[in-house]
Amino acid sequence: MLSITRHIAPVALSTPASLIIPARYTVRAISTASEKKAEVAVAQRSGEGQTSPVPKAPRREVPLPSQEGTKGVVQYALTTMDQVANWARQSSLWPMTFGLACCAVEMMHLSTPRYDQDRLGIIFRASPRQSDVMIVAGTLTNKMAPALRQVYDQMPEPRWVISMGSCANGGGYYHYSYSVVRGCDRVVPVDIYVPGCPPTSEALMYGILQLQKKMRQTKITRMWYRK
Amino acid sequence: MSTPTRTIRNLWRIGIKGYFQQMNSIGDTKAGTLIGMDRFGNKYYENFEEELPLRTKWVDFKNWYYDASEIEPGWHAWLHYMTDKPPTQDPLLQPRKNKWSPVEHVPNPTMSRAAYKPYSTVQQGRVQSWAPVAKPRECSA
Repeated sequence: MLSITRHIAPVALSTPASLIIPARYTVRAISTASEKKAEVAVAQRSGEGQTSPVPKAPRREVPLPSQEGTKGVVQYALTTMDQVANWARQSSLWPMTFGLACCAVEMMHLSTPRYDQDRLGIIFRASPRQSDVMIVAGTLTNKMAPALRQVYDQMPEPRWVISMGSCANGGGYYHYSYSVVRGCDRVVPVDIYVPGCPPTSEALMYGILQLQKKMRQTKITRMWYRK
Repeated sequence: MSTPTRTIRNLWRIGIKGYFQQMNSIGDTKAGTLIGMDRFGNKYYENFEEELPLRTKWVDFKNWYYDASEIEPGWHAWLHYMTDKPPTQDPLLQPRKNKWSPVEHVPNPTMSRAAYKPYSTVQQGRVQSWAPVAKPRECSA
C-alpha cells in the first residue's frame, strides 16, 4: 500500500508548475536532479491519458523548497548562516505546555528521567512570551479555543505548534460533540501532528525530532534573499 | 555508568575518530561486535559481556541527522530484544512474500514529496459560512 501511495503526487503538484511558480523562478526552481524523474512521470501520465476520456495536463515535478540545491556565492554564505540559526533554534526548543487532557500526562512523562527531554534542550515554559513551540495536548473545546488562540498570538516569532493526540488532530473521540473543536488546526497553524490516543511519550519525542528536522530545512535568510 | 578506565579502554578499541563521534552523538564510548549492516548503512553492534542490561545492543547510524524510522523492522525487533538472532539469520524475519507487504522498507516520508497530504476540510470553497435567511412571519390572525 505504501508503494502505491508514494506514486500519487499532492494535488498542488499535479497542476502545471507555471501556475504556481512565477516565470522568472521556473528555470531556477527546477533542479537538474529532478529532470529524470519528471520525464518518467510524464511518460506514465501520458500512458494513462489514452485510457481516460479527459486528457490531463502533463505532470511536472517541482522540487520542494527544501530539496533545491545551492547556487552562487551568496547562497552558500547564507546557507551557513541558516545552519547556525537553525542549530540554535532546534537545540533549545522551549515548549509552551498547553495540556488539556490525558495527553498532557504523556507530555509530562517526556520530561521525566526515562525520556529526559532536557538532553534535547527542551525546557517547559509557563509563559507564552518565552516559548518557541506550543504542544497542544488534549481535547480542544469551543470554550478553550479563544484562549488557545490568544496564547498562540502572544508567542514571539518564530513559533511552531505540535498537535498531540487524535483529539487535537481532528477531534478524535469527541469529533461529533457539540462543544469540541474538530482539530486545533482550525484555530492555529499546526506544524507536526502526533497521532495516537494518547500518543506515547516516545511518539511525542519522535514528533519533536521531526520538528527539529523541519527547522533544519528552513531556509531563513535564503528565502529572504530570493525575495 | 562510565568509568575512566572503561572510557580509555573503549577509546583504545574504537580509535580517536570513533571516540569523538560517539561522544558527540550518544555521549558514551561503546565497543562491541559488529553484527550486521542494513540497506541504509546503519551498523548494529552487540556486547553482552561488558555492557549493562538493556544497553547491550545498539545501532550506529550512517547519517549524522538520523531518523529512527531508517531501522528496518527485523533489525528493530533484534534491537529491542524481541528476537535473539539478527534478521540475517532468523528465518522468521525473512521478507514475506505477501501481496500486501511492501517490497522494501520505506522510512518516514514526512518532509519529502511522498508525504501524506490529507483532504483539507478547511480549504477555501469547501466550507461555506451559513447565511441564515429568515422567512417573514405569516400573520394569519
